[in-house]
Amino acid sequence: MAARLTVDCLGLSFQNPVLVASGTFGYGDEYYDIMPFSRLGGLVTKTVTAAPRQGNPPPRVVETDSGMLNSIGLANVGLEVFIREKLPWIVQHAGGARVVVNFAGFSVDEFIGVGAGLAGCRGIDALEVNLGCPNVKAGSIHFGADPATVREVIAGLRGEVGLPLVAKLTPNVADIAALAEVAVEAGADALSLINTLPGMKIDVKKRKPALGMAFGGLSGPALRPVGVACVYKVYRRLQEMGAGVPVIGIGGIATGPDALEYILAGARLVQVGTASFVNPLAAGQVVAELAAWCENEGIGDLSELVGVAHHGGN
Amino acid sequence: MIPVFRWVEVSDIRKMARSTYELSFPEPESASKIGPGQFCMVSPAPHTSDVFLPRPFSYYRVDGPGTIRILFRTFGRATRWMAGLAPGSRIGVFGPLGNTFTLAPQARRAILVAGGIGLPPMAMLAGRLDALDEPPEIDLIYGEQAGDRIVDVGSDLPGRVRLHLCSEDGAAGQKGLVTGLFRPLIAGCDSPPAVYCCGPGPMMAALAGLVSSENTALFEVSTEENMACGKGICKGCVIPMTTPDGSVSYRYCCTDGPVFNGFEVKWPHA
Repeated sequence: MAARLTVDCLGLSFQNPVLVASGTFGYGDEYYDIMPFSRLGGLVTKTVTAAPRQGNPPPRVVETDSGMLNSIGLANVGLEVFIREKLPWIVQHAGGARVVVNFAGFSVDEFIGVGAGLAGCRGIDALEVNLGCPNVKAGSIHFGADPATVREVIAGLRGEVGLPLVAKLTPNVADIAALAEVAVEAGADALSLINTLPGMKIDVKKRKPALGMAFGGLSGPALRPVGVACVYKVYRRLQEMGAGVPVIGIGGIATGPDALEYILAGARLVQVGTASFVNPLAAGQVVAELAAWCENEGIGDLSELVGVAHHGGN
Repeated sequence: MIPVFRWVEVSDIRKMARSTYELSFPEPESASKIGPGQFCMVSPAPHTSDVFLPRPFSYYRVDGPGTIRILFRTFGRATRWMAGLAPGSRIGVFGPLGNTFTLAPQARRAILVAGGIGLPPMAMLAGRLDALDEPPEIDLIYGEQAGDRIVDVGSDLPGRVRLHLCSEDGAAGQKGLVTGLFRPLIAGCDSPPAVYCCGPGPMMAALAGLVSSENTALFEVSTEENMACGKGICKGCVIPMTTPDGSVSYRYCCTDGPVFNGFEVKWPHA
């Protein structure tokens, strides 16, 4: 018998646990003819900000060992164009997939303004809050690095937005579980982890940083052990808190076994990111590999595996 | 046409000049619909290389039925991996991607300028222009830093295409730069020609300094920038463009290009 891949999360039913991560599947239309996201658990959109953004000077991407660095600079069409031109197409083509809109602000007020603007739109199933964004009013330190601002952003949104709120956390902190706790206390319905790690590559031939902005965010398989560790830690903390808040695992997932690492560590859903650049069909293949693995292992319901690694496995 | 991602087996790999290889692979469905200037992303099969991201390559030749050839030069990790491929090796190919050169140049003459490994789209364009019902006169200028890097492109070109070779070391063709060959050619044109170019950033910037809307009917360039996806998603491959108010405007090499109006590109972009 085929395994049940359906996952209940955020008060919604996901047809499978595999979503595509923000910034790696655009607005769903670019890859649709090749890999329709309607077959997946959901689409997380490219980060939306209040105003359109051109992004950073090139080079913006560079390969590293088992990964890549990016400094895109949140290039996006802006809230107004997103709502008018991108969102209706996504909603119309979503099929059974859930639509999660990722957004960011450069101040607490902007976060709340964009969130409130999205909250009134038809067809959005959940909002993912990109806390890896610089807080311009506080010396450009990332929102996600400071518990006080995480609390302010999430609590502020909670007061304005009825949609499920997913806080996407950065791993670039001393204790990600403490940040997770703050986000949950402030009203987050789920936690996505992790965002990219900061990194740099020096072009030895040119004797300067390979990226135009020098620093970038590391993604890809190199990030996976970090992501799995963060999910494991946060899941345990949430259990200790008695919070039934689900975790969404992100970081270097390209295959079914990669996704299973996150699920066993405590993730209810996963997101495939950079792997889609390498192979646009990757997310669909992860779904197929999860189904095949469950069948081989005699697992009737994939949800049974969430967090199993905390109990010594089998 | 809609691009396709597929795993294919390498049909052939041949060394064409120093550090320069021709890679052939089957592309049964889309081969006949590929335009000059378009490109594909090439990636290793899982666990066969330490190369992670796919790399973009312009199409060089599209043979019927359904064989594609690209040219590459060993430069970094990915191209060194590719040089080690053999017939039967599995690679991922995603394409065709990007736009194409204008094939109706509204000019009686076309001057194509290729620098180094910028040769492939120029060679393909020469063939397609020559195959038009009313083909323009075609000159292809092709230069390399070192003569031993010159690819023998002549045998692949239609007979009517005039090939002009140069190398900086003088070991093949005329000694000097492509701009040295370009100046007398454009000066000798009775009417403004179409000018097409692909090569290193400084070379294209130098050529841009020699053309204007008065002496050129069309100036199109094929650009390159680091990219992860090839399909407008990663937003990595921006090309700075000039704007009337002097501010920087970015366009994406992969989906807005790789072919741009050379008068609009902000030179030098590299």
